[in-house]
Amino acid sequence: MTVLLTPFKYIARLIAEGIMAVGEIAWLLIQIIKRVPLVRKNPELTIRQMVNIGVSSIPLLFITSLFTGAVAAVQSEYQFRGLIPDKFIGTAVAKMVLIELGPILTALVLAGRVGSALAAEIGSMREKEELAAYEVLNLDPLRYLAMPRFLTFLIMVPCLTIMSSFLAIIGGWIVCLVGLDITTYTYFTGVQYLFENMDLFSGLIKSVVFGIIIFSLGYYHGLNAGAGAKGVGQATMKTVVSACVSLLVFDLFIALLMFS
Amino acid sequence: MPNVIIDPNDVMIELKHLRKVFGKQVVLQDINLDIRRGETMVVIGQSGGGKSVILKHMIGLLQPTGGEVSIDGITISTPDFFDTRTIRKRMGMVFQMGALFDSMSTGENIAFALREHNPNLSEEQIQNIVTEKLELINLKPEFRSKMPSELSGGMRKRVALARAIALNPEVILYDEPTTGLDPITSDVINDLILDMQRKLHVTSVVVTHDMASAFKVADRIAMLYGGHIIQTGTVDEIKNSTNPYVQQFITGQRELPTGLEDGD
Ligand SMILES: Nc1ncnc2c1ncn2[C@@H]1O[C@H](COP(=O)(O)OP(=O)(O)O)[C@@H](O)[C@H]1O
Ligand SMILES: [Mg+2]
Repeated sequence: MTVLLTPFKYIARLIAEGIMAVGEIAWLLIQIIKRVPLVRKNPELTIRQMVNIGVSSIPLLFITSLFTGAVAAVQSEYQFRGLIPDKFIGTAVAKMVLIELGPILTALVLAGRVGSALAAEIGSMREKEELAAYEVLNLDPLRYLAMPRFLTFLIMVPCLTIMSSFLAIIGGWIVCLVGLDITTYTYFTGVQYLFENMDLFSGLIKSVVFGIIIFSLGYYHGLNAGAGAKGVGQATMKTVVSACVSLLVFDLFIALLMFS
Repeated sequence: MPNVIIDPNDVMIELKHLRKVFGKQVVLQDINLDIRRGETMVVIGQSGGGKSVILKHMIGLLQPTGGEVSIDGITISTPDFFDTRTIRKRMGMVFQMGALFDSMSTGENIAFALREHNPNLSEEQIQNIVTEKLELINLKPEFRSKMPSELSGGMRKRVALARAIALNPEVILYDEPTTGLDPITSDVINDLILDMQRKLHVTSVVVTHDMASAFKVADRIAMLYGGHIIQTGTVDEIKNSTNPYVQQFITGQRELPTGLEDGD
């Protein structure tokens, strides 16, 4: 009996913990959103965060996006060879990138790069009692620490997604010129063909949601990090794992909502 | 020895039957402690004994599981009541590792709370206060541009003290101010603690296991053991204590001294 019950208990506990976490994160987000109007009093705090995130993630996104676009072009050419005109390569790349690959890959890369860094930063601030120092000085950590970072993720994730999608289309173009014998004219005619604002818009909506997900999980796991370097390390790991799962689940969810 | 007049009946901080439990771990059993206005009270005890937990109750970072904390006659926390915002304005805290804001310069660390809480102060006034606080801890005004990562352990503690006094507190809490410092730097910190008491007339609570520091800065010493305050007294009373646990601690022995009555 007990042998059978243990895995159930384990799963039940995981679900209970998950529900608690969702509740806490929702409460945290509400508290943070209430403080957003205060951003005009210390805009420099938010701007500094935006610069930090840009600097630390643009080089990596540059490479991943170019290669993603290039691979998308190569695969489309291979799958469609002899079936449809070459210009549809550009169409396929643009559609894939704008609707799906751009937002989700950017979000996954950012979860690994800046979501984990957020958890580590908040976790070590807690460990070194910097968070307590804010409290003791009657400075609200949600206002001075959480809100600027929340706004940064909310704004920067969509911006970086646009940059990333653009770079992916460029990546497809480069590989067409160099490896696939497709002209610039043919490729970009394809990119424009069947272009709909809705594609761009849906990608942006998704990336806003993704930005909130990455921020929430990073901040939450940072706040709840265990003691010492080990605790901080685990918090970053939990952030990346939970963010990857949540991002993909939400991606499917949003796709179903928007396209079916 | 301090040259401040202290009225034994003028209590600034009062812990009454303070009890704190984390999960199943009982850290503080029943703490009773009065700290008089203007005095420096040193709480000694082993690492992990709950000294930081006591300080955090005084400044409202933790809520008691039992008992009551009052500051200047005002109850700030009980198990069902927790109002710390107003009282914190009157208190400053120097954290064990300094807890400086790593992304801000030394000057910004001192100025930040000042600016946020006093929007009507001009930038010039703020910078003057920063200079004044740096002088109080014997640092040159140029020091303000240094980042925390450029500072040694002793300097971090000093800047943390400057930040704690930026808002002119009446009470300063020090969490292990000399731990991890060499003896000479430790003594610089001891002198600063005495300076604050004389120049700013603050009430101070110092938590430490550094006996040299305790004997130098204390008006009175309280010994924490097993979740209780087992003795409170002046430096001489503690030095001459017959309580074996106090003797063991202040002389730094691994085993209880024999021949003394068990003071439990
Ligand atoms: N916020 C907390 N949550 C759980 N346990 C804590 C917390 N703060 C302190 N403790 C525990 O309380 C005990 C006493 O800690 P502390 O007051 O830091 O000791 P010290 O006397 O060295 O300052 C330790 O065992 C510590 O693990
Ligand atoms: Mg401690």
